[in-house]
Amino acid sequence: MSHARGGPLVVARSLVEGLTRSLVLVALTGFAPAVCVAAGAGLSAVVDTAAGAAGCLLGVLVAVLVLVARPVSAATRFLVARWTGGELPAAYQPLVPVTRMATGYWWNGYDYQRLRWFSLCQRWILRRTRDPAAWRDVLWLLVAPVTVGVASAIPPALIAVGVAGLAPHPVTSVVAVGVGTALLPRSWRSLGPVARRVLGPSTVELLSTRVASLVRGRADLTRAQDAELHRIERDLHDGAQARLVAIGLSLSAAERLVDTDPAGTRALLRQARATSLAALRDLRELVHGIVPPVLLERGLVDAVRALAVDAPVRTVVRSTLGRRLDTPVESALYFATAELVANAVKHSGATVVDIGIDRTGTGVAVTVTDDGRGGADRSRGSGLTGVESRLAAFDGTLRVDSPPGGPTTATAEVPCASS
Amino acid sequence: MRVVVAEDLYLLRDGLVRLLEAYGHDVVAAVGDRDATVRALEEHRPDVAVIDVRMPPTHTDDGLRAALEARRARPDLCVLVLSQHIEQLYARELLADGRGGVGYLLKDRVFEAEQFIEAVERVGRGGTSLDPAVVSKILGAGATSPLDALTDREREVVALMAEGLSNQAIAQRLFLSEGSISKHTTSIFTKLGITPDDNSNRRVLAVLTFLGATGAA
Repeated sequence: MSHARGGPLVVARSLVEGLTRSLVLVALTGFAPAVCVAAGAGLSAVVDTAAGAAGCLLGVLVAVLVLVARPVSAATRFLVARWTGGELPAAYQPLVPVTRMATGYWWNGYDYQRLRWFSLCQRWILRRTRDPAAWRDVLWLLVAPVTVGVASAIPPALIAVGVAGLAPHPVTSVVAVGVGTALLPRSWRSLGPVARRVLGPSTVELLSTRVASLVRGRADLTRAQDAELHRIERDLHDGAQARLVAIGLSLSAAERLVDTDPAGTRALLRQARATSLAALRDLRELVHGIVPPVLLERGLVDAVRALAVDAPVRTVVRSTLGRRLDTPVESALYFATAELVANAVKHSGATVVDIGIDRTGTGVAVTVTDDGRGGADRSRGSGLTGVESRLAAFDGTLRVDSPPGGPTTATAEVPCASS
Repeated sequence: MRVVVAEDLYLLRDGLVRLLEAYGHDVVAAVGDRDATVRALEEHRPDVAVIDVRMPPTHTDDGLRAALEARRARPDLCVLVLSQHIEQLYARELLADGRGGVGYLLKDRVFEAEQFIEAVERVGRGGTSLDPAVVSKILGAGATSPLDALTDREREVVALMAEGLSNQAIAQRLFLSEGSISKHTTSIFTKLGITPDDNSNRRVLAVLTFLGATGAA
């Protein structure tokens, strides 16, 4: 086969790649120590006393740590993302712009200061001392040379020693070149795990991000619930309640006319009956908006089937879902599906909509595919945002794949226990 | 006719019994949950059963399930299913065996006493009665379907057929002669590919095609 393992071209490529990457890492991790060593050498030549030289060296060290840490870690993140394919996002605290408050003081995200420049300086310092991510950058600067730096330096060094004939014996040279070449494609790979361990977010940070998103989700949910209650109250007040009042009025008028004006009474009774029908219709629509009865009676799959039957375009429902899910999950998935189908019908010009309801490894997914024109943009329609926040309450997600020209595939997935 | 009424809300059950008795029907049992319904249907073998979709014990679709099961066990049982809401899905399930003797109406229709009783009697005689809400929903859907082959007049006729009207009643409603309605129905059966068959009711099959019009699986 043409792509046989260990073909000479493949080996050569991985060696060249290993060499360039090792050298890049050596340069990246060795930069800060090199600056310090150079500064130390220069200072010891210029400054006479040992104490003075040590003081100056300490100053250089601190300056390097402060100034170089962030760019080096940014470069590291870039390389990790590029070479290992896994993202290693920066998790700095957000930079708060220095703003003048109504009191005349300047706020920089940490403290109030009377003077703007002082506030700016304070922010500069605190961003580097209060932020755990900044401290991780410093730690990386210290750790990287002795871990990744050394690991990447060894193979090129061995090869160099062997090739230059510095080894005491020809056999040793051959062995050195051999070992160096063998290590070349592997040693730089220490970058991924080490960088992730040092620069990656800590458990505490992961948890606080999670807590923050839960708090946000709960706030969204509470707001949505409140809005829903208000809508129900308004609908009842303006709809069924008002109609019942009208029925009562018609009936009391009819009661008064019953002896004197049978024809008028009949008209009033007819009116009362018509109004009661209208009240029923109002209530039915309201109930349907809260939770469609068929969802309660039959569960998600049949409710989606009923939705499909009512859809104005040909809609096919396939499902491998065996049993009922928790009602809130069913509800969230149902309304998500309804919104997605409505979008497909309204915006895409689709002629066929295909709905799949399936169990996935971790939960349940509803996939809505249409043959419309595609190009759906979730930032434009607020409908999709609503679906997303509704799903988020259950840690659910919405994925929309809609290239221009179609087809559009939207998947709403909610994790839930699988047995 | 001998009628079984199954409805869990006392007021409505009582009202239905009164209404049916006022029109001279014999209500042999009035029950309020699924098990009692199943028992009453076995015991009394009524001409027609009026059953609410939602009933105890689960308060989901117990009534509908009981009706479907009872019809499977005893194909000649006629049932009229009542509900607060109308689902095409349920209508299709009820009509699926193509035998007729089924009805599916909104509870609101009880208000029009005469029409309601007429529907009960029609179902009891083996006809069908589908709520106009189902019918109008299908006509409003506007999807591609076998119905596209029909003329506007034929669509009108098939819609009224779905509600359960006889040719004579359809003729009255559309101000046409009964003869021309029967021409229309023959044409409808041909276009929908429904051939004469002893075992199934052609009108029910036409209505089923009508229900399947939106093409959902």
